[in-house]
Amino acid sequence: MNSLRRALLGLGAVGVIFGLALIPTTLSSDQDVPAAIAAIAPLVGWSFIGTGLFAWWRRPQNRFGALLVAVGFAWFLGVLSSSDVPALGITGYAFLNVYLVLLVHALLAFPSGRREGTAAERIVLTSGWIAGFALQLLGIPFFKTPDPDYCDGCPENPLLIQDNTDVLDVLYAVQPILGIVALGGLAVILVRRWRRASPAQRRPLAAVLWVGAAAMGILVASLASGVAGVPDAVQDGFFVAGLLAIACIPFGFLVGLLRTRFSRAEAVDELVERLGFTPAGGQGLRDALAHALGDPSLAVAYWLPERALYVDAAGRAIELPTPGSGRAASIVERGGEPVAAIIHDESLREERDLIRTIGAAAALRLENERLDAELRAKLEELRDSRARIVKAGDSERRRLERDLHDGAQQRLVALSITLRLARQKLDADPAQAATLLDEATEELGTATEELRELARGIHPAVLTDRGLGPALDALAGRAPFPVELIALPQDRLPPPIESAAYFVVAEALTNVAKYAQATHASVEVARANGRVTVEVRDDGVGGADPAAGSGLRGLFDRVAALDGRLDVDSPARGGTVVHAEIPCE
Amino acid sequence: MDKRVLIVDDHPVFRQSARRMLEAEGYEVVGEAGDGESAIEAVRSLRPGIVLLDVQLPGIDGFEVASRITGADDAPLVVLTSSRDGSDFGPLVTRSGARGFVAKDELSGAAIEQMLG
Repeated sequence: MNSLRRALLGLGAVGVIFGLALIPTTLSSDQDVPAAIAAIAPLVGWSFIGTGLFAWWRRPQNRFGALLVAVGFAWFLGVLSSSDVPALGITGYAFLNVYLVLLVHALLAFPSGRREGTAAERIVLTSGWIAGFALQLLGIPFFKTPDPDYCDGCPENPLLIQDNTDVLDVLYAVQPILGIVALGGLAVILVRRWRRASPAQRRPLAAVLWVGAAAMGILVASLASGVAGVPDAVQDGFFVAGLLAIACIPFGFLVGLLRTRFSRAEAVDELVERLGFTPAGGQGLRDALAHALGDPSLAVAYWLPERALYVDAAGRAIELPTPGSGRAASIVERGGEPVAAIIHDESLREERDLIRTIGAAAALRLENERLDAELRAKLEELRDSRARIVKAGDSERRRLERDLHDGAQQRLVALSITLRLARQKLDADPAQAATLLDEATEELGTATEELRELARGIHPAVLTDRGLGPALDALAGRAPFPVELIALPQDRLPPPIESAAYFVVAEALTNVAKYAQATHASVEVARANGRVTVEVRDDGVGGADPAAGSGLRGLFDRVAALDGRLDVDSPARGGTVVHAEIPCE
Repeated sequence: MDKRVLIVDDHPVFRQSARRMLEAEGYEVVGEAGDGESAIEAVRSLRPGIVLLDVQLPGIDGFEVASRITGADDAPLVVLTSSRDGSDFGPLVTRSGARGFVAKDELSGAAIEQMLG
């Protein structure tokens, strides 16, 4: 049992004992306590305390439960006014109306437990506290017994200073006016609130607010009848009717709670029914959830475990709302794994249980839609990578054209001019012609070497002819730093896999040479468990950003096109590991 | 004919070969430029009679350079050149204000003389 539950049970026990102790007090009182009041007195207190404790336990963050408990105890304190013991009687007199003021508090704070903080609320509460408590305290030193008209048989006031009916007349004249301001104001606020509420919000509010408004109306009438001087019997009738209505308020609250529960079951039923005829995909599921939670702005985000992000139904990545943004996300799990997030209005946080129930009811459907969203995300990614591959092909062709134009072609042009010059000089100056021919030979050698390098970059012949092992061996031999070949496949692999693996290693080693400032690199290619793994490690400075270079980006797409994946792990000053895995049955 | 030539090309290898070829055939190479901007500047300062102008240059290309340095009465004669075939460029050569086009591998003093003669 947690400490909150223990404390609440303790409070409950105190409430029960307090109420029980009041029964002999009211029954044996010498005062003319109306029998109806004596009978309902403990019940009223218990009903407030009981429902308050229940609400407190269910929603510990919500102050409404505590307010109801306070109303119950204040009621008991007020009932003490019927005690024949002077000290208890006068204490009861002091607290006689405090339960009403607290009830006004509770009604203003229903159902969130927080008041809205408007000026109207402040006026209502200030008038309430002055009328219900301050004026009551102020009158105490000025009477021998409370108003003898009402309090036949009350014990003598132990706090009497001077019996002064003039002071009391003033106080008793102001008290009902302020009381009318407080209760009338409350009624106006509640009616306004009701008219402003959405149908979903009205459901739990209805019982409490109607009973509350009715009780307040009757009490206002009772106070007004006192001011207007109608017969005592009518005033008493109003008072008892008002008390009965107040006694109903906590039950109204209970009904409100039950209605919330009922509407939750109803919402789930309706959701399940709606989902039955909502076609998969599209907005159907979102609309059904929005309806069930009464939040038209609701959105659904699906969790993609592979990419560790949320996407919308179309597969586009979305961010979950941050606290304070007015929106909140509730995660729906299935089998302990997140499936989706329901993004809703922040005010729905109060309905955490309802969201959880709705989420659980829709979890299977959400899981299906998640798979759809995952598929769409993959299609989206596929479209993107296809576009990138086309773009990469174009830029590769441009690069080749540029390399050919700037390299071999220029050398061949120069060679052509040199040869024609040599031809011209052949008769007149054979020695210069020979020099020119030497230059031409050298130029031709350079052009041939450049063409060879270019051809190897397009597709190395040794890879085609001899396979991945010899091709990587040759690649390692040409690197400007030591490259250790830890393992290479002995058998030939399917050509697309050989190519992808080769270019992963080639690009990785090129990057090591360009950026890593490494002294050493290692290459490992292994085939096991239906996949080929390629790993290139270096001991350089790390900090490589795969998104920055087009070379690595192209490799991601190339490996992804074979259903494989490429990872680059490059912590600052921690070396770089390029790791690719490609399925290979 | 003013045989003072400015060679404009971004490839030093070609500039060197062209200089040697033209000088062997009695032309005077007064300067070289590696891009369009410095070519325009060199035309202003060196006042060459002929500009051998590569089509593909970094920054503004040969056609644009040709249209900027021709037109005036004392403008140099412009011969465009490229390692690509002249037909790749269609009517751009004549529109640019150049007097003709010679493929780089066919470059010779005689070819220029024939074109400008």
